[in-house]
Amino acid sequence: MLLDLAQNTLDGLGAGASYALLALGFTLIFGVLRRMNLSFGPAIMLGCYAATWVNLNFQANLLLLAVVALAATTLAGVYVERLCFAPHRRGSAIAAMVASFALWMQLEELATAFLPRHLYAFPPLYAGGPLELAGLSLRVEAIVMTVAAAGACALLYAILYRSRFGLAVRAVIDSSTAAELSGINVPRVFAAVFALASAIGALAGILIASAHEQVTPMLGMWSTLKGLAAMMLGGLGSLPGAVAGGLALGLLESHSQWYLGPQFRDLTIYLVLFALLALNPRWMTTRSAS
Amino acid sequence: MAALLEVKDLVTAYGKIEALKGVSLEVAEGSITCLLGPNGAGKTTLMFSIAGVLRPKAGSVRFRNEDITRKAPHAIVSSGVALVPENRLVFPGMTVLENLQAGAYQRNDSLDEDIERLFARFPRLKERAAQPAGTLSGGEQQMLAVARALMSRPRLLLMDEPSLGLAPLVVEEIFRIVAELHRDGTTIFLVEQNAHMALKVAQHFFLMEQGRVTFSGDPGSLAEDEVIRRAYLGSAKA
Repeated sequence: MLLDLAQNTLDGLGAGASYALLALGFTLIFGVLRRMNLSFGPAIMLGCYAATWVNLNFQANLLLLAVVALAATTLAGVYVERLCFAPHRRGSAIAAMVASFALWMQLEELATAFLPRHLYAFPPLYAGGPLELAGLSLRVEAIVMTVAAAGACALLYAILYRSRFGLAVRAVIDSSTAAELSGINVPRVFAAVFALASAIGALAGILIASAHEQVTPMLGMWSTLKGLAAMMLGGLGSLPGAVAGGLALGLLESHSQWYLGPQFRDLTIYLVLFALLALNPRWMTTRSAS
Repeated sequence: MAALLEVKDLVTAYGKIEALKGVSLEVAEGSITCLLGPNGAGKTTLMFSIAGVLRPKAGSVRFRNEDITRKAPHAIVSSGVALVPENRLVFPGMTVLENLQAGAYQRNDSLDEDIERLFARFPRLKERAAQPAGTLSGGEQQMLAVARALMSRPRLLLMDEPSLGLAPLVVEEIFRIVAELHRDGTTIFLVEQNAHMALKVAQHFFLMEQGRVTFSGDPGSLAEDEVIRRAYLGSAKA
């Protein structure tokens, strides 16, 4: 009984760590632009497809695949920014969101044009079995995911709070007009944030694809939904909130799946989101990054 | 005195509505120049147009004989113009010190000396250096907005209604600082609703009504009660 609880908690944290990365990417873009980028997940999917293509043709190792996914996702992310967000910076948020939906379709078509089968195998993070420890079976993938996500969070924190570029990003999040007036090149910060968020997303994508040992075109929508749900659980626009929201999402999923059954897993998440909104409507009003 | 800033026939529109309908004015080097006018006259639009945040439809802005009309805001900051925006717009989630560092984003040299000097001028900011700017009082935020703009070492400081919503004592302090900055060699172009205070420090003033400059002169060239009447209410043309 207690063992199940501990086991589910461990699994939930492992999945939650990758959700936290997705939510961080979303939050960066949302915080800086105040715009919803629906193509965030599909760009990640495209990156994982590029890695899969390299794997099928050259049988590269996982590290090289990660580099390919990182480069392809970042490229796709900057493409989305140039097309959907740079032209609408002062314009309509809806127009930008709809444009990002159109690019979602485009990226999906592009991926399936090169790899038309619905499902492709992806190399696993770790080929061996789980570690046994005091009755708990620790999945090595979960440990790798948690460590990688924690490392990425630490790196992101250092970039945002200890670097000149991070100062500019936080300034734009607080007030983009004041940032412009302070001499910060705001359009350049936007493009750089998109690249950074895409790189974080790509890391999440690689971890997820190799934990599931497969990629499908659904990875795009899946990443967008998980990232959005985690971001909302943590309160819109807060970076520490994104991490907390990702972990909470992972834990809620693993526990509800165990105790209520797999069919109640997603329902539980949406019920919790609904309850948060109903009980505390200000939960999802945008807040400052710090 | 030579004109440091020269605005000529400037037209800025929000969609089809022209907020500036051909504004021309000059700010002399080394002066305090003041822009008065009722709400909705286009004063803030003019400030944003000079600073590059709004893109004018027609006309030109020249600074030190260089055309800056279509430059990006960050490029205008680096050419030496800094705007203290209306309602201060500090970065609320960042500390006072970080706000100052952000103000110097264009600079690559050491900031320590400037920060020390500004802390000496604004001792309240020094006390609160590590505090988020959002926790400061209105007057302190205004000081911070001014200090942040000064971090870029501007030759021309634009100030949009620095006294807005502040207590009379704080307003007096703000104007004392304006006079001090002027004495230290900064040219200041000031938008004010508080015509009485503004006319005390300015060497020259413009009156703006409904998107046009309707009067230009030295303080004293128009009776103060007439200035104040038009600055608050606009001329009684109707």
